[in-house]
Amino acid sequence: MSNRSMTASRPTSVPPPASARHWSAAARLLASLAIIVYLAAVTLPPLAGPPPASELAGRLMQPLRPLVGALYLGHGYRFFAPDPGPGHSIRWKMQLTDGSERSGSIPDRDADRPRLLYHRRFMVAEKIAALVPPPDAPEGVRLAARRDWQPLIKGVAGNLLAAHDGVRVRLEMVEHFLPGPDDVVQNRTEPDVVTPLGTYARLKGRAP
Amino acid sequence: MTAGTVDRATAALEQGQEPWGRAWVRSWNEFWFTPADPLPLAVVRICTGLLLAWSCLVWLRDVDAFFGPGGWLPAHEVWRMNDQPWQWSWYFAASSPNAVRVLGGITLAAAVLLTLGVATRLSAVVALAGLVSAANRASLNVFGLDDTLGLLLIPLVIGPAGACLSVDRWLGLAGQGGPSVTAAVALRLLQVQLCVVYFFSGCGKMFGASWWEGTAIWGAVANGHYRTLDLTGLARHPLVTNALTLGTLFWEVAYPAIVWPRLTRRLALAMAVAVHLGIGLSMGMLEFGLAMITANLAFVPAASWRSLARRLL
Repeated sequence: MSNRSMTASRPTSVPPPASARHWSAAARLLASLAIIVYLAAVTLPPLAGPPPASELAGRLMQPLRPLVGALYLGHGYRFFAPDPGPGHSIRWKMQLTDGSERSGSIPDRDADRPRLLYHRRFMVAEKIAALVPPPDAPEGVRLAARRDWQPLIKGVAGNLLAAHDGVRVRLEMVEHFLPGPDDVVQNRTEPDVVTPLGTYARLKGRAP
Repeated sequence: MTAGTVDRATAALEQGQEPWGRAWVRSWNEFWFTPADPLPLAVVRICTGLLLAWSCLVWLRDVDAFFGPGGWLPAHEVWRMNDQPWQWSWYFAASSPNAVRVLGGITLAAAVLLTLGVATRLSAVVALAGLVSAANRASLNVFGLDDTLGLLLIPLVIGPAGACLSVDRWLGLAGQGGPSVTAAVALRLLQVQLCVVYFFSGCGKMFGASWWEGTAIWGAVANGHYRTLDLTGLARHPLVTNALTLGTLFWEVAYPAIVWPRLTRRLALAMAVAVHLGIGLSMGMLEFGLAMITANLAFVPAASWRSLARRLL
């Protein structure tokens, strides 16, 4: 392989003019330290979490937490990993102040436009679903998990009740059946998995 | 360190011309501090500004639910979930719906000014503050688009992103737009960050059996909540699904190695466009795909942009 073919990507192929200002050794040293710290703040968060995670990376990240938090760098970058799974939605049924009922879903493919709005609402269901164990999980597991997801679902319920002027709302998590290739070929389907999330009431204009 | 820089350093070492430590220092300095043309940074700025402005408009469609006191996620729950006090948000200080709207509007204005290149560095700082505030307040609603916009905005704060293709330049407020060290540092940071993102994204996939089996793309295609283009016909073509899955996996893992040498860079960037446009169009995440393609533009040299402009104009 020739040197030319291996020439690396430079931010520019234009040679700097003589007037271009180069930095002094002290400036380069300071900038190098800043670059190293910044790159550590970019590289350590995906090693430090989500699980499985490195304890060493977690400890090294401790002094960098202010920088990671301030610049919103704490990402795992595990897009569609480890495996793309089934989709989730939050189904709701509400009693309104006039006694009538209304139902809906988060997200709502027909109402949530543009698509980016749909996706932002879809994330509500996906992120809460990650905390909700399946209905056949041991009771101890379900009770422990409830402490994590219930405060979030109360916020969702409060938002729905305020938006629709409702009295009470019942919510359930729906895990949609993810068909395999054979299911599609044979036109086969299975029921979705539904997990009740509780009923929440609005108390005199306050969130539940 | 790029392949060319490493080649030169290795040759000097083998010929005994330069001690090992000094070769490292020289290569490091050459990589980060060789003045660079700010044109690619300006192109990244325009694309990032447009994407952020669109994202802000969508946030504003339901601003009370995303950021308001009675929204999806009460502020005290965000405080409990996030790594406080470091994950700050200016929306925590907004106690009324009007205050929330004003803060959302400030981010939108900053995104528009950033796109146009008006008071570019200040616009980039405010846009970054607005993006971080939104992401940290509406934790339940963020996804890869927001992560990527954050990574794009930080180099725009550091480098002279308004030195070309900007109102600042037109008004004579941005200098001559010649090569500069800060442009080099900003572009290098963006390039290295992108390698980090792809490397960890690829490594994360390697935990999953479906990525090894070559069926993961099916899992994405068959998920009705993502689907905007019906590709379930792939059910009858498992080998195509395998090829798409394994191609995506190995491209992501290999990206940090193949994007630097000129010989393979075009392949790496062409794959990036294909993968991100494919995901964007078939899974309804066009904005995320465009943000990742924007980040890849940091690898397109200024000469290529000038050549393209000559052909188009």
